[in-house]
Amino acid sequence: MSLFRQRIERIGTALLDAAGAAIELWLVYVSTIAGILRGLSRRRGGRGRPRGELVRQLFHIGNKSLIFIIVTLGFIGMVMAYQACLQISRVTGDFSQIGPQTLRLIVSDFGPTITGMMLATRVGAGIAAEIGSMKVTEQVDALRMSGVLPIDYLVVPRFIASIIMTLMLTTIGSLVMFAAGGLTANYSWGVNPNLFFDLSQVRPRHLVLFVIKAATFGAAIPVVAGFCGLRARGSSEGVGWATTAAVIGSSFAVIVLDFLISAAALFVTGGDL
Amino acid sequence: MTAYIEFKNVSKSFSGKPVLREMNLAIDKGEVMFIIGTSGVGKSVTIKHLIGLLRIDAGEIWFDGERVDQIPERNLAPLRKRIGMVFQSSTLFDSMTLAENVALPLRKHQGMAHHAALEEAKRRLAQVYMDEYADRYPTELSDGMRKRAAIARTLALSPDVVLFDEPTTGLDPISARRIDRLIRELAKSLGVTAVVVSHDPPSIFGIADRVAFLYRGVVHVVATPAELRASPDPIVQQFINGKSSGPMETPGF
Repeated sequence: MSLFRQRIERIGTALLDAAGAAIELWLVYVSTIAGILRGLSRRRGGRGRPRGELVRQLFHIGNKSLIFIIVTLGFIGMVMAYQACLQISRVTGDFSQIGPQTLRLIVSDFGPTITGMMLATRVGAGIAAEIGSMKVTEQVDALRMSGVLPIDYLVVPRFIASIIMTLMLTTIGSLVMFAAGGLTANYSWGVNPNLFFDLSQVRPRHLVLFVIKAATFGAAIPVVAGFCGLRARGSSEGVGWATTAAVIGSSFAVIVLDFLISAAALFVTGGDL
Repeated sequence: MTAYIEFKNVSKSFSGKPVLREMNLAIDKGEVMFIIGTSGVGKSVTIKHLIGLLRIDAGEIWFDGERVDQIPERNLAPLRKRIGMVFQSSTLFDSMTLAENVALPLRKHQGMAHHAALEEAKRRLAQVYMDEYADRYPTELSDGMRKRAAIARTLALSPDVVLFDEPTTGLDPISARRIDRLIRELAKSLGVTAVVVSHDPPSIFGIADRVAFLYRGVVHVVATPAELRASPDPIVQQFINGKSSGPMETPGF
């Protein structure tokens, strides 16, 4: 009986902790949006972000991720096109739809999602480690003592930079993915480039979905990573925990949001995607 | 007479483990009060409660006739303007120069323009003999220099009370005594109330007006340094003489 009770209590505690964390995560998101609004209407010397911080974050999140995204999405594009050609060759051998359908898949799903997943690891880990280190060394407390809201100072610039740069990196990564796929299909299977690089299957709704997904993933990563960093406790072990949690949490957020946005898009378009 | 700062029956636990247990402490205006005790006994926790960096589980905290433990985070700015804190690690922001670090509270709390705040920051750095390093980054400086710059940042707002969390830990003896002298001067010339968490005997017996010894979650004794030295209490004697054996077999709890 006592063992049963202990287990129930443990489950209850875990559920309460999870609910508390979900509420905290939501508060970080709401505070970030409020911080952006405060920044737009800030008075002189107000609670805005530090000078030059947005540019620094744009560089860290965008420029420093460019090679990583190009290489990763390029290879995935190659593998994807090769596998598609291989499967088609076993069934009909008609490669005419390989390019257009690959592009459609990249624009409506793979481009934003794979870029989002990659950024969740690189950017999410970086943000959590930086904010987590500041938390455990009391720099976040020092910010509060200096009259600065930590969310405004630490999360808002990363949030804005991440949305802008995720959109740009997703665009670049998707182009590289498509180009690498086209070259692979041509080199390995002799698919005519004119046939592969056919844009006719991409409709405006796919581009809308592309932008929505990229912007949402770009917003989710710094919020989840910032939340994990601000929850860091103790010393280096706490920072390590925060970094791991940020990578898992932001990757998970990208996958779940991808599912939800895709489902919503199917619902809105009546299944005509 | 009501004390300037007063902790009344303050309790605080972390993950079910009690750290402060109905702790009481009164601090007078303009005095240099040291809080001493073994590691993990709750000294830093005590002072962080005063400025809302931590929240108490039970009890009351009063400052200058006002109850401060229930002030919500968004309304704490005026209190944090009056009570500054120098943290254990200097907590300067690595991405800013020393002048920018010191200017930050001036811009945020006092709404000063960027350039005016930087000029004022340089004047504040000069008070701790750090003005020639105003444009350097914290990572380029020694621990003692960073600590002095952190003190300048705290003093930039001309606070009524300054909380020092182990200000001399990790410093060479000369730098440590310079910090002590600075704390003493603040109290003497500017009337600043200083609350200092410390383990450092030369500081404790050199500049304290009174010392509060924290043990088992309560203030075990409050005394002047001379009274503390002469105390017959074996727990106090074990602590101030740094003996590994004695009645305080388990430090803290």
